Amino acid sequence: MPKLSPLKRMFPGVWRCENCVEMLFVRGSGNCVQCETPLRKSNFRVQLFEDPTVDKEVEIRKKVLKIYNKRDFDFPSLREYNDYLERVEDVVSNLTNNIDVENTKLQMEQYQRENRDLIQKNKVKLTREQEEVEELLLLEKQGNEQRRLELLQEEQRQLQAKRKNKQALLDELEHSQLPATMLLAQHKVRAAKLETQIEQQKQAVKPTSLFSTGINMRQTVSLQPPPRIEEVLYQYKPVHVETYGPPVPELELLSRLGYLNHVRAAMPQDTAGGYTSALACHRAIQDAFSGLFPLKR
Amino acid sequence: MKLNIEGLLVYFPYDYIYPEQYSYMLELKRTLDARGHGVLEMPSGTGKTISLLSLIVAYQKASPLEVTKLIYCSRTVPEIEKVVEELRKLMEYYSKQTGESNNFMALALSSRKNLCIHPELLHANIVVYSYHYLLDPKIADLVSKELAKKSVVVFDEAHNIDNVCIDSMSVNITRRTLDRCQGNVDTLHNAIQKIKETDAEKLKMEYRRLVEGLKEANVARETDVYLANPVLPDEILKEAVPGTIRTAEHFVGFLKRFLEYLKSRLRVHHVVQESTPQFLKDIFDKVCIDRKPLRFCSERLQSLLRTLEIADIADFSAVTLISNFATLVSTYSQGFTIIIEPFEDRTPTIANPVLHFSCMDPSIAIKPVFQRFQSVIITSGTLSPLDIYPRILDFRPVTMASFTMTLARTCLCPLIVGRGNDQVALSSKFETREDFAVIRNYGNLLLEMSAIVPDGIVAFFTSYVYMENIVASWYEQGILENIQRNKLIFIETPDAAETSMALEKYQEACENGRGAILLSVARGKVSEGIDFVHHFGRAVIMFGVPYVYTQSRILKARLEYLRDQFQIRENDFLTFDAMRHAAQCVGRVIRGKTDYGIMIFADKRYARADKRGKLPRWIQEHINDGSLNLTVDETVQLSKHFLRQMAQPFRQEDQLGLSLLTLEQLESEEMLKKISQIAHQT
Repeated sequence: MPKLSPLKRMFPGVWRCENCVEMLFVRGSGNCVQCETPLRKSNFRVQLFEDPTVDKEVEIRKKVLKIYNKRDFDFPSLREYNDYLERVEDVVSNLTNNIDVENTKLQMEQYQRENRDLIQKNKVKLTREQEEVEELLLLEKQGNEQRRLELLQEEQRQLQAKRKNKQALLDELEHSQLPATMLLAQHKVRAAKLETQIEQQKQAVKPTSLFSTGINMRQTVSLQPPPRIEEVLYQYKPVHVETYGPPVPELELLSRLGYLNHVRAAMPQDTAGGYTSALACHRAIQDAFSGLFPLKR
Repeated sequence: MKLNIEGLLVYFPYDYIYPEQYSYMLELKRTLDARGHGVLEMPSGTGKTISLLSLIVAYQKASPLEVTKLIYCSRTVPEIEKVVEELRKLMEYYSKQTGESNNFMALALSSRKNLCIHPELLHANIVVYSYHYLLDPKIADLVSKELAKKSVVVFDEAHNIDNVCIDSMSVNITRRTLDRCQGNVDTLHNAIQKIKETDAEKLKMEYRRLVEGLKEANVARETDVYLANPVLPDEILKEAVPGTIRTAEHFVGFLKRFLEYLKSRLRVHHVVQESTPQFLKDIFDKVCIDRKPLRFCSERLQSLLRTLEIADIADFSAVTLISNFATLVSTYSQGFTIIIEPFEDRTPTIANPVLHFSCMDPSIAIKPVFQRFQSVIITSGTLSPLDIYPRILDFRPVTMASFTMTLARTCLCPLIVGRGNDQVALSSKFETREDFAVIRNYGNLLLEMSAIVPDGIVAFFTSYVYMENIVASWYEQGILENIQRNKLIFIETPDAAETSMALEKYQEACENGRGAILLSVARGKVSEGIDFVHHFGRAVIMFGVPYVYTQSRILKARLEYLRDQFQIRENDFLTFDAMRHAAQCVGRVIRGKTDYGIMIFADKRYARADKRGKLPRWIQEHINDGSLNLTVDETVQLSKHFLRQMAQPFRQEDQLGLSLLTLEQLESEEMLKKISQIAHQT
């Protein structure tokens, strides 16, 4: 029995094994055996999932999401974003289950026409969720790179130590001859080269995709104004303090009523700072008056 | 007797007390006063349980507002039963002494079938149950909601708590799980179709509720927000379910896609290791599933099951598992790893694809417990080295103390056998496992011991495979026959029924004087739960160092994580894990101060300081330098001497004043001074 090659299928749900696909298109193009629709070879894809409906749905979903690609900060509230998401789901499920296909397609075209600019803009950037995931991946990669470099450095250091030992031994042996200095010089050059190599590798790890504030260069920052929150306007009500005593005369009336005659007058130095004798007098009178009335039971 | 511990009146239901029980209670009281967490190591068989219970009950009675509940968590049902017995004795003592009837209520939850009786939990003062109710997020949700913040939580026999935490957050998915889940999803689909025809109103109500973002009444309680169940992080409790999975049909479609994705992942032909962000990215690329709807998966499923009024939730365990997996994978970006293996390492020809979603960080599961409850006490007989636990569980204890046994006569005899009589080094190292000489020497050791030790001997091996190899070798060499002339041999198997039968017969043989040897494995059921008191265990032999299978990928990922996050060296951790199991095995034979036993560590590596230092203090104390690298002959000689000593009569009066105290002796000045030196602070 011939071995079955992986299945392929096309948009409307036609299944052919790979051999049959080859056979069918020996002549370049052909018609579907069952429904006589003209088929093109390029439209056949390898099936990824066991359940064929899921495969079909994923294909449709990818196409729909290319058009309906608004993100959460394109909406004023979370509720509206969720409503939008639900509408997208409806579109996908209609197309998958062949419910009301014509109408849905018209809806999609209309949406595409209305939001052409937004779709273009959003095509380039990713949704925020994906950005978070990308960020985490980047952090991980950096972490791994750093660890790998540290390991390399350790190895280099060990190698260096060994070489130094060897060299020291050789130096002692060749102490009397002149070329020993040349050997030393060569060794120094080699060591310097190693150092620069390690430095270069370190440079490569430094992230070049971050602004100085730490924000990722490719990350979308929402430029929308913060959401408006309407609340009841605040009304100022002055504080009323119960003093349990007779009412205290106003600050401005004190001099007229004669209280200030019994208080030390303010010197020119004091008035320069804004002090008036009325202030101290008023405070003393407040103290004296409060609590004079007996407590009501 | 009635004790006075730093001003607290404690009723202790026995007439005699061990000095270390007193200092244990002292340390415990100080920990509760400081309202912090504690790590306490106390040797097995010294009355740890009753000390804990009497002190905490006394504390509760003295300040009922400070400690409203005691939550006692233990590992197995027999242990829970023991605790309940002790508690009953304590309560009887209280009512006899004070003359008033007790209004204390204690509640014990044993198996999952006896799940929560909510209102009773609210009023109980003491709750006894198994770890999993507090740690496993899926169960903790159901049972622990009502527990008040001002409670004291005690984890008894907690030396393995990090493994419990890791297991509770790990998920293993096989092809079978996915097939069963497919069945569940189809059932859900049909149920939705049916309910749309008969009672569409229910679905519409659920939809409306999800749109408004209203939470079910018993999900969004204040106490829950506090206990931030790890599977449902805080944001979920506040945010509304995303629009992609609002309607029931969309959600079922979502589940179908996720399931298909998992099926496609299991079709790999080589091992794949990924982190959670990589996994999420791949999900999005392949099936356009975002991270956010995945996070709300379990919540949405619960709501759907409730709306469809599914009576038997157990049928839907597969889809619940998958939705929990979805929530976990999308919530945690660190501390987890995904390993997909097309077959098991040891059986490369059998195709058995498994997806391991394993937690590498035990602190994730236990963090809510430490944050929420006032005092958490971790106690066991083998917690050394003490400082590792706060590091891997990520908490700051106010007390870390290790207690020793005060002994009137030395009833432990730990010996490290490093060489055979022919001076061949004994070890269970991988390289020497097939070595004929090593196996022969091990057999010789067991043979000699079986000739001199009365009644029962327990022998532990590092793994089933190793044990089978050695026993087969011994059979060929004729050693087994010689041993059987002295004692009967019983063996533990992976099968539970066979093991319990072997255990029963072993005990019978020890009782009637024939004598027996039980061969078992270091991480098996026997080493974890069974006590060998008095004549059931006069000697224990630990053949080799019980390292865990080090080639497992999950273990390697975990070690790497520990090294990166907690700066714990891989070697240190592996040794710590091996030594705690060894200590557990060896601690099986001493269950009281009148009990005595020989502990033989048959591997030359035990003599090294890094391994010896990881044994609990109460064993280390009795290892003297002369018993570090013995040959089999020397071991036999020392054991004979020890056994003859122990066979001398030993009455309770001999212990009085030293290891056993009456109330008057306890209150004498010098005794109090000695006691304060018992607790060794680290």
